[in-house]
Order: sequence, then structure tokens, then C-alpha cells
Amino acid sequence: MAKEQKTSGAAAGAAAFKTFTPMAARPAPKDLTGVTAWLRTNLFSSVPSALLTFLGLWIAWSVLSALVSWGWVNAVFQASSRRECLDKVGLSGACWPGVVVWIPNLIYGLYPKDQVWRINWGALLLIVWLLPLWLPRVQSKIIIGFSTVLLFPLLASYLFLGGPKGWIWTALIAVGLTGFLWSLLTAASESLGGGPFLRLAARLMGAKTAEEEAQRGRLALLGLFAIAVLLVTQWNLDFVPTRVWGGLFLTLVISGFAITFSLPAGIILALGRRSKMPVISLLCTTFIELFRSVPLITILFMFNTMLPLFLPAGVEVNQLLRAIVAVCLFASAYMAEIVRGGLQAIPRGQYEAASAMGLGYWQSTSLIIMPQALKIMIPNIVGIFIGLLKDTTLVSIVGLFDLLSMARAIARDPGWIGLFLEPMFFITVVYFIFCFAMSQYSMSLEKRLGAGERR
Amino acid sequence: MKEPLIELVGVNKWFGSFHALKDINLRVAEGERIVVCGPSGSGKSTMIRCVNQLEAHQEGDIVIAGRHYGRDERENAAIRSDIGMVFQSFNLFPHLTVLENCTFALTYVKQLPKAQADAIALELLTRVRIPEQAAKYPMQLSGGQQQRVAIARALCMRPKIMLFDEPTASLDPEMINEVLATMIELAESGMTMMVVTHEMGFARKVADRIIFMDQGEIVEEAPPERFFREPEYDRTRLFLSQIL
Repeated sequence: MAKEQKTSGAAAGAAAFKTFTPMAARPAPKDLTGVTAWLRTNLFSSVPSALLTFLGLWIAWSVLSALVSWGWVNAVFQASSRRECLDKVGLSGACWPGVVVWIPNLIYGLYPKDQVWRINWGALLLIVWLLPLWLPRVQSKIIIGFSTVLLFPLLASYLFLGGPKGWIWTALIAVGLTGFLWSLLTAASESLGGGPFLRLAARLMGAKTAEEEAQRGRLALLGLFAIAVLLVTQWNLDFVPTRVWGGLFLTLVISGFAITFSLPAGIILALGRRSKMPVISLLCTTFIELFRSVPLITILFMFNTMLPLFLPAGVEVNQLLRAIVAVCLFASAYMAEIVRGGLQAIPRGQYEAASAMGLGYWQSTSLIIMPQALKIMIPNIVGIFIGLLKDTTLVSIVGLFDLLSMARAIARDPGWIGLFLEPMFFITVVYFIFCFAMSQYSMSLEKRLGAGERR
Repeated sequence: MKEPLIELVGVNKWFGSFHALKDINLRVAEGERIVVCGPSGSGKSTMIRCVNQLEAHQEGDIVIAGRHYGRDERENAAIRSDIGMVFQSFNLFPHLTVLENCTFALTYVKQLPKAQADAIALELLTRVRIPEQAAKYPMQLSGGQQQRVAIARALCMRPKIMLFDEPTASLDPEMINEVLATMIELAESGMTMMVVTHEMGFARKVADRIIFMDQGEIVEEAPPERFFREPEYDRTRLFLSQIL
């Protein structure tokens, strides 16, 4: 009818227009909504589709029921050796006591049992340090995040490694501790409405102008550092050599380093590769292509066996450190290509608009280009992180006992000889939890950052 | 004659071996409105992009308000800060709100405090008649609104010169007029403008001079009256017969 009105209006000429009123929208027909409609369209839309649905259900059922009967119904939960398990149920059920007894080893490796609290405290420290990022009233989230990434390793390495410390070490640990104290105090003062901690401290010391505030704020920071130094000199921990580090702890240390190092390094390499300066571009490209075309195992071997040949006699680089450096370099090369891909997705007009507004290279890169590029790259970046967590299993070949090697060691324990499947199942679950958590976090991050800006 | 605000003297530019601008000489006085037209590939965009050095030229001299572009990047940036630019594809920053798009350069280049930057941005968004969209993201706006935000964003820096590179070329017909209206208001306020466009109605109404370019050269330069009625060159006549 509306159409008719329009055409007849046009035919009537300019003198008498009819008014065009758009038709009101009607609700969708009933059979497009509701549960039965969903079932019919998605699961049983045709005979083959219904058959496939039943096939899928049957496969899921058979796998799950087998798993449950092995891992739960027929499983043994109380036993003192594998022999006992086998006598009870044979191979039809899992033998969990072996895994349970080994759980401390799977988590901490061969770390001395009376020192294990240090690892737990390290984990707690990290959680407390990062906690302010989830508190709504905290303003300085970015800098707290940076302080964690940069300074936590300093504090944690002493916590985990211990031993005697020279004055350089002392200063570095104190810097770490200062960062931690600063983050805590800032989070506290901002949550309670006092503004940034240093400004608050400066005002308490009687600062009036902005200049005085900055000056006394620095003084407060210095005071914090002095307190930290004092604490650190009083703090003595037994030395725990890295060769007894192991299990989940070692896996997280290596992948944690690789994850935090690879993103910034990858960004720098990617910017370098796109640089207009030929020398820088060539260097970055060479590095990326070199490390990307060699398997991680080879790089680990190279660093482990060949690096000592190039170093002067007597200089020894810690084996764990060698592995960490190797994994970091490998990961940065991959990350660089992902970042480059993200940068290429940003239209040239964004750079032009920024430079037409008078922004320099670093400003437009860090404030305009990177935020957009990183957002597109989140799935790929998290993909690399997940890959890294799993790739750390390769360090077992250079003699480090990560989670996987510890799980395999159970089968060589006289009491649990040959126990292989159950530990593998257990660490599968552990890896899954970590990787799935990362993947879910990346999804929620994408959703949050993508709000209101679809290209 | 008064000292020109924009002066191009013997400007030549090559893209690789392609000679894109050939001996361009142009003087634009303060408050003058120049419309640049010509077939695609004629160098009109390249020319105005040279004016704020988004493209570097290889020969000749470009002088803005008495200052020469040179090798010193900082000096170039200072000269450029007097020039606002509006692009065909808007080039708003999609991860920032409309208001943040406008305050961005004020905060990071002029380093104004947030309150002051917000005030300036709102004033200019009001001037282009979309203050109510300030909290939205660019992708939530229509093309015409986005282009008006882009104009406001450029005006925030209080430029002496505004460059427009085919500002209406990627807009639906219904939206072209709202952008042109904004540009006409801007012209009436006395802004020095260089506009690359095919909107001949706008050119006739606003331009002090129309420049016709072909194959990297300025072919004809005339006030709109004369340009449309009696162009000197056959090339201009052909072009006009095709677009009018």
C-alpha cells in the first residue's frame, strides 16, 4: 500500500504530495523462535542431519563413559604401590595414589621440601601485586602493571634462588621491593580516595605547588627505597641451585619469562623490520628469519652445548638461564611477525591523520597505531602464549625437569614402576586449565576492547 | 601584493620515476579559498599533500607563512601545526571516542590540560553541529557526521590553513550537503582553504580561484566566473563538459 502511495504521489506531480509513512515492524513468526524451533533448525533439519546428531551423541557417550569407568568407577584411590593397584583392578581402572603421592614433586620439582614455602610466597606475591588491576577505583593501573612485569622478576629471583648477595644484587632486589611497596600503597591510597600515593605523601610532607609535589614525591620514593634496602640486607635465604628447580614451577618460570619478554621484544623487532632505516630493518629481518626458520629444539641445543664454547673459559652461564634466553629469542621472532601482520592491517590513513595533526613517529605509533593493532592481534598473541607454555616441555632435552619430565619420572619410581597413563592424564588436565584460562581471558579482553568499534 | 600564506615555487615531485608534479607555482593569500580540480591522477591530491609535507617534494620550495620546509623534522612539524587536513576517508581514530579524537592532538601535541582540551573540542563539535555525539565512537556515526568530526578535529588545533582532500568523494548524496554546508560556513569565517573536489556547485559558490590540473601541471587558474564561462584551454573545456 505504501508503494502505491509513493507512485501515485509522484504521478500526481509537484502540486499535491502524499505523505509516505513507513510500515510498522511486526514480530517474527512463532516457528522461528523457541526451543523446539532451535532443535529443528540446528539438530534435526533433515534426515542426514538427524543421523549425524545421533552419531555425535553416541561418540560423545562412548568416550565419556569409558573415561568415567576408567578414571572413577574402576579407579583405585587407596594403595601404597602400583602392585597393589594391579592386584585390585588390573588395567581396567586408574591408579591415582601414585599421582597423589607425586603431586608435590609435579608442582615443585626437586626443590627442597622445607623451602617450598618460598615458591608459594612468590606466587602469592605476584597475585597481590596484580590484584590492584582488578580494583575499580585504582587509577594507576598501567604503571602498576608495568612495575609488576619489570620488577617482579628481580624480587622473585632472589626469593627462589637465595644465597649470598653482593651490593648490586642487594640494590636490584631493593628496587623490586620498592616497586612492590609502591604498588600496594598506591592501590590502597587510590582505593580510599587519596589519589596517587606519592602525591599524597608529598602533601603530607607539606608540599603546596605542583613542583614541590613532584620533588617531595621523589623524596618519598627514595625513602621507600631506603626502607627496602634495609629490609633486603636483613633478609637471608638459603641458596637453592636451579638444577633442582622443576615441575610446574619450572614450566611457569620459563614460560612466564618468555611471555613477558616476547611481546615487547616482538613489537620492537616488528617496528624495526618496517623501519625506513636500512641497517635497522636488515638487522631485525635477519634476526626474525633466522630464529623463525630453526626449530626450538635446535636453538635450545645450540644455547646449551655451543654457547659455552664461545664464552671465555671459567665463565659459566646458568643452564636454566640459557634455556630461558633461547625460548625468549625464539618466541620474540614469532611474535614480531604477528605484530607486523597487525600493523599492516592498520590503514595508511591513520598514520597520515596522526602526522597531519603534528604527532611524531613514537607518539602516533604508541598511541594510535599500536592500540588498534594489538587489539586485532589478541587471538594470535594469546595463541603464541599458549604455544609457549606447551613448548617449554622441550627443555627436558637439555636436562631440565619441567612438568612433563617430572610426570614421566613417576614411571621410574620403584613403588610406581610403569605408571604412565595416570600422570599423563593429570598433567593434561593441568595444561588444559592454564591454556583454557588464557584463551578465555583473551576472549573477554577482546569483547571488552571491541565494544562500540566495529570496523 | 600582500605576503602570501602559502607559496609554492617551482615544485617538482617524483614517485620513483613517475613525474607527479611539474613546476608548480602557486601563491595563496590569507583568507583566500582555492578549489583544485582535474581528472584523477592529475596530481591535485599530491599537490595539497605536499603543502603539509605528507609527501616530500624533491625540487622547489614550499613556504608557509614565511617558513620553509627543510630537513629539520621538528621545524617541519612546527610549520605543519598551522595546517589542518581533512581526508577523503575521514581517518578518524576508531579506538577513541569522537571527543577523544578531537582532544588528542591538544593533549599530546599542545599538552593542554584535559578540561581545557575538552572545552575546545566541544566548542568545535558544536560549530559542526554534532556536540551530542561526543561520547560515541566514530563507527557509530554516519559518513557525513564522521567527516564533520574530522573537520572539527582539524580545527581544534586552531590552524591558519585548512586542506581538504576530496572531502565528499566517499559520501552518500544525502550526506554531501551537510559536509559542504559546514565547509561553506568555515569559508565565510575567513579561513584560508585549499579544497580538492569535484563539487562544482561548491566551487562556484565559495572559491576565489579555481585551479585546474592535468598530468602534474597547473593548466588553468581563474576566478569561478571566468573558469566556468570562458576557460582558456581546450583541456579545461573538455573536463568541464564531462563533469557538468
